[in-house]
Amino acid sequence: MTARDRALRLARIGQMITAVALLGLAGIFIRALVFTPVERFQGPAQKIFYVHAPAAWAGLVAFAITGLLSLLYLFLKDRKLDLVAASSAEVGVAFATVMLTTGPIWGKPIWGTWWTWDARLTSTLFIFLLFVGYLALRNAVTDPGTRAAYSAVLGIMALVLVPFIHVTVYWFRTLHPQPVLVKPGAPSLPGVMLVTLLLSIVVFTVLYLGFTTQRYALALLQELREEEFARGVS
Amino acid sequence: MANRLLSASLAIAGKDLAIEWRTRTAFISSMVFAVLVLAVLFFARDPTAVANIDIAPGALWVTFTFAAMVGLNRAFLLERENRALDGLLLTPAPPTAIFIGKVLGNLAFVGAVELAALPLFILFYDVAVWRQLPQLLLVTAMATVAFVAVGTLLSSMVVRTRFAELMLPVLLLPFLVPPVVAAVQLTSRLLIGRPLSELAGWLKLLAAFDLVFVLLSVLLFEATLDE
Amino acid sequence: MPPTDVVVRLEGVSRRFGHRLILQEVSLDVARGEAILLIGKNGAGKTTLLRLIAGLLKPTMGRIERHGGVGMVAHHTMLYDALTARENLRFFAKLHVVSAQGSVESLLERVGLTDAMDQRIGTFSRGMLQRLTIARALLHDPAILLLDEPLSGLDDTGSQVVMELFADLRARGRAILIATHQIAELTPLGSRVGYLVQGRMAALEPLDGRGADAVLDRYRSLVSYRGQPAA
Repeated sequence: MTARDRALRLARIGQMITAVALLGLAGIFIRALVFTPVERFQGPAQKIFYVHAPAAWAGLVAFAITGLLSLLYLFLKDRKLDLVAASSAEVGVAFATVMLTTGPIWGKPIWGTWWTWDARLTSTLFIFLLFVGYLALRNAVTDPGTRAAYSAVLGIMALVLVPFIHVTVYWFRTLHPQPVLVKPGAPSLPGVMLVTLLLSIVVFTVLYLGFTTQRYALALLQELREEEFARGVS
Repeated sequence: MANRLLSASLAIAGKDLAIEWRTRTAFISSMVFAVLVLAVLFFARDPTAVANIDIAPGALWVTFTFAAMVGLNRAFLLERENRALDGLLLTPAPPTAIFIGKVLGNLAFVGAVELAALPLFILFYDVAVWRQLPQLLLVTAMATVAFVAVGTLLSSMVVRTRFAELMLPVLLLPFLVPPVVAAVQLTSRLLIGRPLSELAGWLKLLAAFDLVFVLLSVLLFEATLDE
Repeated sequence: MPPTDVVVRLEGVSRRFGHRLILQEVSLDVARGEAILLIGKNGAGKTTLLRLIAGLLKPTMGRIERHGGVGMVAHHTMLYDALTARENLRFFAKLHVVSAQGSVESLLERVGLTDAMDQRIGTFSRGMLQRLTIARALLHDPAILLLDEPLSGLDDTGSQVVMELFADLRARGRAILIATHQIAELTPLGSRVGYLVQGRMAALEPLDGRGADAVLDRYRSLVSYRGQPAA
């Protein structure tokens, strides 16, 4: 089996995982809309929570994996680790975008405003920007070896930065008390809602796996093409 | 060994400062920039609704960080020109010494800009900092160490990419969130005459950030030399 | 040859950049007092080979042994335009941990820059920069000197000064490795010649008094043997 066949097979596996996840997502939508009770205070607007929170989860998982693979890369210097880290970061940015757009849509009817500097929303915004920077840096470096080394350095720095950002944003909020609003989130969700949320988290995790596998297979195929091209020229 | 590391670091920092002293371009640009930011932020408010003192801490730290960012890339741009970095790597000086030298040079540079901009800030914003000047200098030093260490590491990478001048702010600003927010919180207390102990948490956060990121930057620098 | 004589030893060294294989399984021993010419067209891997020996690059495969210091003269000066010639050398002397006292000035004299040593090198001509670059490479009296186009930018007197310097180094047991296209000028200095063709050391043989024309003929035969057009 050639490297190209292996990459293509991986792409197909990624597609299958994604297909399963998308079916699951349809199931979550139906369960959330039809079989999960309407929240007493927030009304139907709360339904977006079942997408918002799992997307945030998938985004954070993606970024954590990018950071950990960056660390591994510095020790093992395996180019595949770099490609998976990059794929994971790209998928993470997509999930973070979902989190950042569904947040305001949910916030408008509940808080009466599109944006609020809620600690979790704010953290996610900065982490999102951090990883957009990570992708921008990758884009600005042409040599693959240098690109991998630089990305790994930034990935590790980002991983360590995230807890600092979270503490900062959280303390900033508690130091400036806001008028009491309905607090979104799920500290005391009734059983049915909690089950829907947990199922959705599982589905989004599978979706993350499917996307990242496909993106990684694509990166492998791109590599192979560049390699063929390089061989043709030299 | 530790001695050699230190002497090589100091030699590199001294060389950078000698070059800067001779041309003064980065220092003058950073200073002009600092004055402009201080002035523009003063006017970017409704004076009947917002008092000087309310925006002063934020203005101070936006000025410090932005002015520093103008000069941070310079340290490694010097080494890119004529590929002098290769010359450094050919010597027995450890790569860590190159990084520490750059950080020390940048600290001196940013520190000089801050010391020159601080009197202007006091003048423009009419704030009484004299009572707590040592505390303010301590906070400034701690926050400056934080963003200079991270900024120097990031600049060692971005100067070897396309769009270096654009990349540094994009990559660096997220890393400035913890130290700058902490510094602004601490500064605002100091300006209204409260003791630092009221905000021990922020001070600890700043200290932890310094410790973690100075160590991390020193450790990661060698990886950026991989070609 | 006895092992103490070897200054640099390469065993099966390969180097990749991304997908491109620039050097393939190059093996090479350089002994004290040798001067090896490296011939090959642009992109054959000459510069990469020198940077590997200098330690500026790590080999993708293979091993490099160094016994003694390495000095390098490359396309770039590796110096600071805003500093004077003397300041540049003093700075690098400090990093090489050699005492700058006297040695910097005497090196500047040897390359004929005494009169200009307190000028900023931003004002230097190309030839002066090249001579200063050579002085920088010699600061720590390296066991092997790596030269990438050492005569570039030098006029006749400059070349003469530098060639005498190199001959003197050889006589004192220092090894020299020269990557160049200026075969006619540098052949008299060499003891061996290596032909790099597409990242491989196609041949490495003693010069035995052969002239530049013989070297070029040999290179062309190696290239055409591999079915490639000559440089």
